Amino acid sequence: MRLVRAEILKLVRRRGLMAWTLILTVGAVIVVEVILVTLHAVNPEHHGPAGGQENMSHYLDVLLGLGTLVAIMVGSTAGSQDVANGVFRDLVVTGRSRSALFNVRVPGALLVLLPILAVAFALGVGGGFVFAADLGHPSGKVIGEYAAYIFASVLINVVIAVGLTSFASSRVVVGVLVAWNVLIGPLLLQISSLGGARRAIDVAAIDHFGPDQYVNDSVTMSTGAALLVLAIWIAVFNTAGRISTERRDA
Amino acid sequence: MDAVIETRGLTKKFGDRIAVDSVDLTVPAGVAFGFLGPNGAGKTTLIRTLLGLTHATSGEVSLLGLPQPAKRADALARVGAIVEEPRFHPHLTGRENLSIVAAARDRASAERIPDALERVGLTGRAGDRVKTYSLGMRQRLGIARCLIADPALLILDEPMNGLDPAGILEMRRLIRAFVGEGRTVFLSSHLLDEVEKTCDYVAIVDLGRVVLQGAVGEIAATGEPSLVVEVDDEARAREVLGREPRVASVENDGISTLRLTLGDGLRAADVNRALVTAGVAVSRLEPARATLEETFLAITSRLGANE
Repeated sequence: MRLVRAEILKLVRRRGLMAWTLILTVGAVIVVEVILVTLHAVNPEHHGPAGGQENMSHYLDVLLGLGTLVAIMVGSTAGSQDVANGVFRDLVVTGRSRSALFNVRVPGALLVLLPILAVAFALGVGGGFVFAADLGHPSGKVIGEYAAYIFASVLINVVIAVGLTSFASSRVVVGVLVAWNVLIGPLLLQISSLGGARRAIDVAAIDHFGPDQYVNDSVTMSTGAALLVLAIWIAVFNTAGRISTERRDA
Repeated sequence: MDAVIETRGLTKKFGDRIAVDSVDLTVPAGVAFGFLGPNGAGKTTLIRTLLGLTHATSGEVSLLGLPQPAKRADALARVGAIVEEPRFHPHLTGRENLSIVAAARDRASAERIPDALERVGLTGRAGDRVKTYSLGMRQRLGIARCLIADPALLILDEPMNGLDPAGILEMRRLIRAFVGEGRTVFLSSHLLDEVEKTCDYVAIVDLGRVVLQGAVGEIAATGEPSLVVEVDDEARAREVLGREPRVASVENDGISTLRLTLGDGLRAADVNRALVTAGVAVSRLEPARATLEETFLAITSRLGANE
């Protein structure tokens, strides 16, 4: 637990990273809410109330996209900062095993990220209720689906980022993962000739937990299969990162 | 005296290049031990191998009497080390950086942080970010990071590098104080003068091999006896000494001062008699102790010539 706390300290004291994390999550949701509330206030005939299920989906869609980006940023920082700052060898000469030093990176990153995402999520859901006016309140089912969707996306991207930074610099990892999530993964899901093999793509498994509009009708799978795919991705990248960390010269 | 570091046939290769070549090293407890060699001699590689930062190609290592890497965690719990330059998270304060390493050690380590900072004179700056520290302050913070382990053995890689004269003096005092507390300090350096002033024992390394090890005084005393002679007429003295076949060499050692290498049973009294008899006034005549530098240069240049 002391190592996890140390990991959290290393991340939260990065002012730039924390500022961008807050801006891209809490800040982004607030900005979208302010825009929709202002539009409704200025021109209520053309712009309906800023709440309700549909507008909540807008807030949470923004949080999903930018939250994933933040997960990649924080994960790649957690995975690379000891080596990049030359401190890894000083941790190794304490006698702690390299795998113990590696294993605290994902929990540390998640413990920094999840409270911030929870605040942003609460703001998005709260907006759906507070600004609903005559629109109906969002359903608990959709709220739950978004919660699972965002959590799955953040978790898998933090794990992959931490694992990949054992092999490459954080900048490269950020680029690769953004490209994978935004371009390559969704593109692969559109290639019907890949058939059922597309179920092995993490993006498809993550989409399974999302609201209906995100589920690709041609790449459906059971919840158990989606969990299994995510577990395999987590296991592969976590194991690869740990083995690389154990074997590298410090 | 127990050995705190012991290696037998320790070898580290990078591809075909041998960085550490069958090193047999014995570092006794409670001393300052200098690991002396020119740049590129393999000093840092040997330290990295001792600490398990890189894997040995072959050979045996024991730290604090514990075989490595089998008892690595037990040994390193009582070892503090600075490898190459001390590095830190620049965005964290000095105190936070120590707490990061303390988290990887036992619980008592965190309690030692205030004392460690006090010991190296950084209490007043402990709350500042490390990116604002000078190199000397980082060296001292590196020492503090070692001290939180309450180490029986400190391994310091070129600890004087980049320090100003006051910093070097302070570092030397710290090292001697650690030895006074019963700790062992193993330091690598290419600065002969510093090793001679700071260390009790020394190993001279070149081309990955330990070529000589022992007490500093003993190593400096190896080589042929020599004599420093101060005379009133240097030219005449050279002429007289040149006729004495048992004087191996005569070199200038300052104004009107000669340094003689003696051979074949020649004594100081014989030299004095010969000079005075020839009318040369001798105002000083004393045995000269070879410096570690001379021994080091003699050894490393000999090796270079053999390669």
